[in-house]
Amino acid sequence: MIELARVTKRFNAGRANEFTAVRDVSLTVARGGVTVLKGPSGSGKTTLLTLIGCMSRPTSGRVVLRGIRTEAVPAADGDGIEISGLPERFLTGIRRSTFGFIFQQFNLVRGITVLENVMLPAYPTGEAYGAVRTRALDLLERFGITRHASARIDLLSGGELQRVAIARALINEPAVIIADEPTAHLDSALSRDFMAIVGSFKAAGRTILIASHDPIVFESPLADAVVEMRDGGVIHGGSAA
Amino acid sequence: MRKSTVFIAVTSVNLALCALLLLHARLRRGEGEAALAASAALAGRLQLTDLCLFTEARYTRHPAMADANAPFQDHPLALDHFPSGSLVSPPAFGVRRHE
Amino acid sequence: MNRLYCRHRNIIDFALSSLLRRTGKNVALLVVYTLVVFALASVIFFVQALKREAALLLKDAPDMVVQKLVAGRHDPIPVGYGAKIGAIRGVSGVHPRLWGYYYDPAVGANYTLLVPDDRSVAPEAVVIGSGVARTRRLSEGDFMTFRSYDGKTVMLQVARILPAESELVAADLVLIGENDFRALFAFPDGMATDLALTVRNPLELATVAAKIADQFPDTRPILKSEMLRTYDSIFDWRGGVMVVMLGVALLAFIIFAWDRATGLSAEERKEIGILKSIGWETGDVLLLRFWEGAIVSLSAFFFGVILAYCHVFFFSASLFEHPLKGWGVLYPQFRLVPVVDPYQLAVLFFLTVVPYTVATVIPSWRAATAEPDAAMRS
Repeated sequence: MIELARVTKRFNAGRANEFTAVRDVSLTVARGGVTVLKGPSGSGKTTLLTLIGCMSRPTSGRVVLRGIRTEAVPAADGDGIEISGLPERFLTGIRRSTFGFIFQQFNLVRGITVLENVMLPAYPTGEAYGAVRTRALDLLERFGITRHASARIDLLSGGELQRVAIARALINEPAVIIADEPTAHLDSALSRDFMAIVGSFKAAGRTILIASHDPIVFESPLADAVVEMRDGGVIHGGSAA
Repeated sequence: MRKSTVFIAVTSVNLALCALLLLHARLRRGEGEAALAASAALAGRLQLTDLCLFTEARYTRHPAMADANAPFQDHPLALDHFPSGSLVSPPAFGVRRHE
Repeated sequence: MNRLYCRHRNIIDFALSSLLRRTGKNVALLVVYTLVVFALASVIFFVQALKREAALLLKDAPDMVVQKLVAGRHDPIPVGYGAKIGAIRGVSGVHPRLWGYYYDPAVGANYTLLVPDDRSVAPEAVVIGSGVARTRRLSEGDFMTFRSYDGKTVMLQVARILPAESELVAADLVLIGENDFRALFAFPDGMATDLALTVRNPLELATVAAKIADQFPDTRPILKSEMLRTYDSIFDWRGGVMVVMLGVALLAFIIFAWDRATGLSAEERKEIGILKSIGWETGDVLLLRFWEGAIVSLSAFFFGVILAYCHVFFFSASLFEHPLKGWGVLYPQFRLVPVVDPYQLAVLFFLTVVPYTVATVIPSWRAATAEPDAAMRS
């Protein structure tokens, strides 16, 4: 599970446009469940996701990973790994093997094929190409988009792009899936499809973290914990420091 | 077929070709020198002083024999009007008196 | 080790995908880059080979040649000078040389007429170089027409044609007997074109030359070392056409590198942000950019050098024929002996590969070190 203790994230510190995105947040994300961050835009949900997912470091406070096995940090630390103090190299290593991200804008690379997009996160790890490719094709099949494997992403619909993004997030077999406003570009039917996929993740034992202000997401029976945020702080559902 | 396979294949072929050409250079050296020896003997017999590269003007045909004023033969400020004049630098007799 | 290899290969895969997104532009770039390398490498190969052949072919050139100058121009020298020069200590032989140029209006070519020392050419006969035979389409037994200075037509029979391998020294030679030479040019008796000296001891050359210059102030002695030095500096990079060519090539390299170095477009920056957000480290991104630059420049270097070698040593540098020939009609056909100069090729390699690759990597440094979450916030 992931513990945040009094985490604050400030951007452009000391300059005129200084801005505090996350203010003194304490939160525990349980393992194996679906946690939803709910709140209007500007509430700091996205920033909190980046802090949890080892994408950025907090200005103050601690983020600790517990019970999450990762090959990037070999020492089995019973007390958990404090990622806030790690250098970038370790941070990236942990992130690559532990977290899978699904971005709001999908963030797929234009001009290359769907298959290559899905395999991209695994490229720098030095894993054998054949193994990665097999996994990628399996993932495409699982989400029903195998026929698009050699297509450029410019030709796909929103729903199909969503599924490519999901497949990409899973290529390194992460323990935690993080999704930022996944249903923002989808209609209700596709949004419900997405939640069904989330259900399958949960059944497979993964931890899922979703930031959304879509009721289909936070009112879904799959959601184990809903954390309400406003103006960078948690107003409901957090934990004591 | 992976793209990197193609690249590695092409680069390997290039390297192999380079190696082959180096080998070729080494092999041709031997037979080339023999042909050169015959021509060198002819040049020695005829007491030749220059290679026959540019047959346009006498100072480019025999640059070793040319006097410094040959390019200016038409008048003192003449520009060199033979293209090969720009390829052959003036002979080395600028350093006179052979010290 | 295997992991490292796989990592590089994967990144090369993506670098190629990246380059292939703008296929037309990158292929054009590769072609032009290759051409520039081809031109430079061709020149390097050609000049090195030529210099080496010059040194080998002319090693038996006369030890010293004495010319007479009138008003700064080369003039026939009295043979009588030879007797006095022969008396100088150190000079073991004096051979007056008779040679000159003949312009053939029929084909517009210049020939070098030479009277060989050993009197091996029969009267009213000539021995011609294979270049002359080729230009005038002559074979043994044919007659060659010359127009002498006093307007008369002289017919000389071709006794022999010099071997084709000697084209580099003898392509335009016409060996002629002394009487025919003097008659053709109305060359005064008792005069020679210049004097070739044999000096046994090379250390004495300078002294002998000084003495000659002293005794005969209207002459100019030319040492063998000076003759050979002419060919050391032939096609010098610092002169004439060569400096223009080098300048153009360097400019081309600068332009290519500039294209890469002038920062990244917004799209490229966004893409690096995406890569970082999906787990690529700074080092991975820089490696990707490195390979993008290296793939193009390495390929251009190899293609260019291989093509240049084939051009110079299999096709006798035929592309250089036109500029080298200039206005001349006669151009020797020769097969150069291959010479590979590792130093100059190494310099070319560094010029080709390093600036371009560096120009591809450096500008992306900033974007590569951006925070991974920047992609989320945009």
